[in-house]
Amino acid sequence: MSKDREFNNILDECLERLLTSGETVEQCLERYPEYATELEPLLRTAMVTRETLTIEPSVEFRARARYQLHSEMDKSAVRRWRPILTWQPRWVMVAAVVMVVMLAGGGTVVAADSSMPGTPLYGVKLATENVRLTLSSSDVDKAELYATLADRRIAEIAYAIEKGKLQQVEKVTKRLNNHLAMMSHLSLAVEKIEVVATEKAPAPVKDKAAEAKPISETAPQKSAANQPSATTARPTVAAEDNQGPSARAMSENAAGIKERAKLRILLGQYAVNQPEQLRALLEQAPESARPAILQAIAISVASYKKVLEELNNQSDDSPADEDTHRDRSGNSPANGDSNQDQSDDPPANGDSNQDQSGDPPESNRIHRGQSTKPVSDSGALH
Amino acid sequence: MNVSICMNGGYLVQDEQDLVHRAQNGDKEAFTELYETYFGKLYRYVVARIGNRAEAEDMTQQVFVKAYKSISSYRWRGVPFSAWLFRIAHNLVVDFFRKESKRPTVPLEESLVASNDNVQQVVERRLDIERVMAATRQLTAAQREVVSLRFAGGLAIAEVARVMGKSEGAVKALQHSAIAALRRILLVGENGVKG
Repeated sequence: MSKDREFNNILDECLERLLTSGETVEQCLERYPEYATELEPLLRTAMVTRETLTIEPSVEFRARARYQLHSEMDKSAVRRWRPILTWQPRWVMVAAVVMVVMLAGGGTVVAADSSMPGTPLYGVKLATENVRLTLSSSDVDKAELYATLADRRIAEIAYAIEKGKLQQVEKVTKRLNNHLAMMSHLSLAVEKIEVVATEKAPAPVKDKAAEAKPISETAPQKSAANQPSATTARPTVAAEDNQGPSARAMSENAAGIKERAKLRILLGQYAVNQPEQLRALLEQAPESARPAILQAIAISVASYKKVLEELNNQSDDSPADEDTHRDRSGNSPANGDSNQDQSDDPPANGDSNQDQSGDPPESNRIHRGQSTKPVSDSGALH
Repeated sequence: MNVSICMNGGYLVQDEQDLVHRAQNGDKEAFTELYETYFGKLYRYVVARIGNRAEAEDMTQQVFVKAYKSISSYRWRGVPFSAWLFRIAHNLVVDFFRKESKRPTVPLEESLVASNDNVQQVVERRLDIERVMAATRQLTAAQREVVSLRFAGGLAIAEVARVMGKSEGAVKALQHSAIAALRRILLVGENGVKG
């Protein structure tokens, strides 16, 4: 081995120890005293460079980015190809759970429910949670479940801190952050879909006069009753035809409002309790676990704040506000086809040529001042 | 099944492979977990490369959107997931500079510095960042890439080699020459200020 190559290896080994194992420059130099003079200035320069280039993303950007990613995932999910072996209809999942319970004994699943990270049944606990999520039929149920699971994760973090299992603290905190992200995303999706349903409720009256009216003014009964006599025949038929769907939409909307109110109360409690519990854990946590917990506190506060603001806004909305919501939700399910471009260049293929191929169209890309704002211009995300 | 227990991005490799596999099958939570693991590292790498917070935020988002859309095309075959992600980021950075070639200098934003620091700390931190970023701009493209991937992105040398399509030996040599060059440039800067 040439001397240069040997020195490059030693330099890299020292850097690896400094960067990942927390070793000091002095400790590295003691390992290689014969190279100390040459190594020291390089190691110190590398450490200054590393420290200076450690520029963290802001909490606001983190939250905004997470929201945008989930929106993208929703749009793309419909078209995602799934291998036949991993796709299971709901009844297969139910059958699987029944089988697991029968084979392992119901007691196993029950016992697993209170298991903690690092214990033998913890995997069963997580698997059971996944099944519960799969079986949850609505976004509201799923959002509630994610909030409940966040509670469980906090209890597990407390356990891991108490037992001094620091790696588990980090892992469980990541899971907690994911649950909070999913809770936030699903709660906002609930709001979006219900707003869209409210807008679709009015009958699709074909009359031009009716069409010219803003959507919020075209409530079906009013539009039928207020038509001039020359157009009475058609609107009446239209009103009869649409009474069913509109009544159904109203009843669905009423149910949606109830669900939302329930969700708001539940999340309101978690919004207070979970950050408080995490702050209490922060005081007991060793130094190395603090950054992860601090991040979880920030995410928890930001997630609940955003969701509750949205849910509260929704409950306070007057009909005039609906246009704002329509703009806000316009990107979501309706635009699902906008990124059919699954043919992205395999990114590892050397130079990208995004102008010619793989990239999503301009409208689909994330731009500052456009889609980087999470929820229209409300600035609700902080 | 790979039962390697090497750490990679804070994960056991096996854990990460499982997550990637789940994400490829449409599991959003698995992809979110991968996203949380690499989000900060990718952002730091992109900021270090382009020195502009707002552009870096956009680009970091684009990396994950592209990754999500094309994750089904990812195959393990010895290429760590981190290298695959950073390769996407690298390509976007290259395209960014190609498009922005008429605007070679990117002003460093004050917002790169955390706003909760006191004024003196903010000023000092900003000067440090400016100094180091200016120094990295004087490196060769390959040296700058190694410095950004290794010290901002926090990748191991094997991962850097994968991203850059070079051998580990070549990357170690580049790392050595880059740090030596940075030291020279920073010393000249300091002496210049003192003089």
